[in-house]
Amino acid sequence: MAGILAPGLGVLAHLERLENQMSRSRKQSEEPQSVQAQERVLGTKIQKLRHLRDDLKAAVRHRRGSVKACIANVEPNRTVEVNEQEALEEKLENVKAVLQAYHFTGLSGKLTSRGVCVCINTAFEGNLLDSYFVDLVIQKPLRIHHHSVPVFIPLEEIAAKYLQTNIQHFLFSLCEYLNAYSGRKYQADRLQSDFAALLTGPLQRNPLCNLLSFTYKLDPGGQSFPFCARLLYKDLTATLPTDVTVTCQGGEALSTSWEEQRASHETLFCTKPLHQVFASFARREKLDMSLVS
Amino acid sequence: MDETVAEFIKRTILKIPMNELTTILKAWDFLSENQLQTVNFRQRKESVVQHLIHLCEEKRASLNDAALLDIIYTQFHQHQKVWDVFQMTKGPGEDVDLFDMKQFKNSFKKILQRALKNVTVSFRETEENAVWIRIAWGTQYTKPNQYKPTYVVYYSQTPYAFKSSSTLRRNTPLLGQALTVASKHHQIVKMDLRSRYLDSLKAIVFKQYNQTFETHNSTTPLQERSLGLDINMDSRIIHENIVEKERVQRITQETFGDYPQPQLEFAQYKLETKFKSDLNGSILAEREEPLRCLIKFSSPHLLEALKSLAPAGIADAPLSPLLTCIPNKRKNYFKIRDK
Repeated sequence: MAGILAPGLGVLAHLERLENQMSRSRKQSEEPQSVQAQERVLGTKIQKLRHLRDDLKAAVRHRRGSVKACIANVEPNRTVEVNEQEALEEKLENVKAVLQAYHFTGLSGKLTSRGVCVCINTAFEGNLLDSYFVDLVIQKPLRIHHHSVPVFIPLEEIAAKYLQTNIQHFLFSLCEYLNAYSGRKYQADRLQSDFAALLTGPLQRNPLCNLLSFTYKLDPGGQSFPFCARLLYKDLTATLPTDVTVTCQGGEALSTSWEEQRASHETLFCTKPLHQVFASFARREKLDMSLVS
Repeated sequence: MDETVAEFIKRTILKIPMNELTTILKAWDFLSENQLQTVNFRQRKESVVQHLIHLCEEKRASLNDAALLDIIYTQFHQHQKVWDVFQMTKGPGEDVDLFDMKQFKNSFKKILQRALKNVTVSFRETEENAVWIRIAWGTQYTKPNQYKPTYVVYYSQTPYAFKSSSTLRRNTPLLGQALTVASKHHQIVKMDLRSRYLDSLKAIVFKQYNQTFETHNSTTPLQERSLGLDINMDSRIIHENIVEKERVQRITQETFGDYPQPQLEFAQYKLETKFKSDLNGSILAEREEPLRCLIKFSSPHLLEALKSLAPAGIADAPLSPLLTCIPNKRKNYFKIRDK
């Protein structure tokens, strides 16, 4: 291998030496002029860079000054931001209040990923009572996904009648049933809690509160016969009974005054909410007592 | 006190575990506070039972009192029975249901007593508008067997009743009739739903297993809730199949929701289908008669198990609708035939 390379190496080395000689001689002839030219070029470059440095220094000084001035004026800037935040919060509170206010309309809803969740807030005589939810899936056919309606409310029936054809009617019908149920329940609960003193036995009621049966006395300690009342609410969308029977437990024929009382009670139960009727009984009793003493 | 009644009460009390004894006796409300205070509950069980029987004798416990104790014991140990579900329907144009508990009880009892001279019927009402009915069956000539009663839980003003499964099936039609007539319904049908867990059956039948609703007041937006992914939060670990895992989680959440699943022990599928195959000319494909087979899925908590199948990687998501429709269709017995 050495033998093949050696002649090549000898020729190449020689060529290199000749090249170097040539470039050295060229340099020597150029030197004085190029050096001067290069010096001139570098000189102008230095000046340019100096100018640039001075400009930048000036700019930095200027910026620092204006920042200081900014910090001094920071109060009015910050209050602008705070005002914006307050305005947003106020807007948010407003919207929340409006959404809450929808509860008082009795029927509100929220869109869900698959449909809408309807909220029915029931009320009776200005008292806000229980709320019930129906989660609807918007598909063909429209269907109820899940709900919190009590099991004895005929939801399946109402849905079968109206859900597919007229959703408004479905919702209003359901509202009617639930509000009426809430109202009847409220009256029964009030009777049990507020007027237990006038009842001579436990109040018999059923889940829908559409059949109420109880015995009561107008003068709890007194000698009068107790009355038996049986209230039927055949209209599930109503809060007043459709049929009322009041009898006297004594069983014997009543004197005319007792008969009049019995008949008037029947009318009262038909026309006024249950707890209001008993409130009037209690007032009358108080009045009688005060007259006696 | 009748000897049979004494024996009946004794056997019932013996079944009650010691730690539940005072609670159940209080719920029974037959023996007074004073009487119960005279009992030393730290003795051996046999001594406690003897003392209690003595007190019951003093108070002259009747068969009805004994039956009531049995009902309370069963209410505390509902899971020991398997419950079937029945649905009733009203005839067309029937009146509004004015349910009267007294009338119902009288009517129910009368129908059974008219058909079978010897039958013990007892009632206990609960707070959730349900009435527990206990029926001990006899025949025209034999006294009722108090040790094999049937229980019915009826939710008034609804079409649903739950009945404990029993081996004495010959009385089921009569029981159905009594329930239907007394509750002023027209027909009764057994649903394809069965479980030991009465609460779960109730939740499925009344569609009350999901009680979370979206309102404007709910503070946690749905996206923020953690999907329960047990993925390492270390950012240095990259999960290659995270997209797939999230897809599975999303589908599972859409199908099963975030609420606790009602508890069922099994789902049973009866198949009667013809063999379907891509290959022509196989022997099975030529068979005219459908193949019959029964597939049963069992688990201590079937729906939770199904819910965890796809996230655990054991099954593909979405699961077969035959499995996921169970609570919605209110069935855990299916018959699948060729259409």
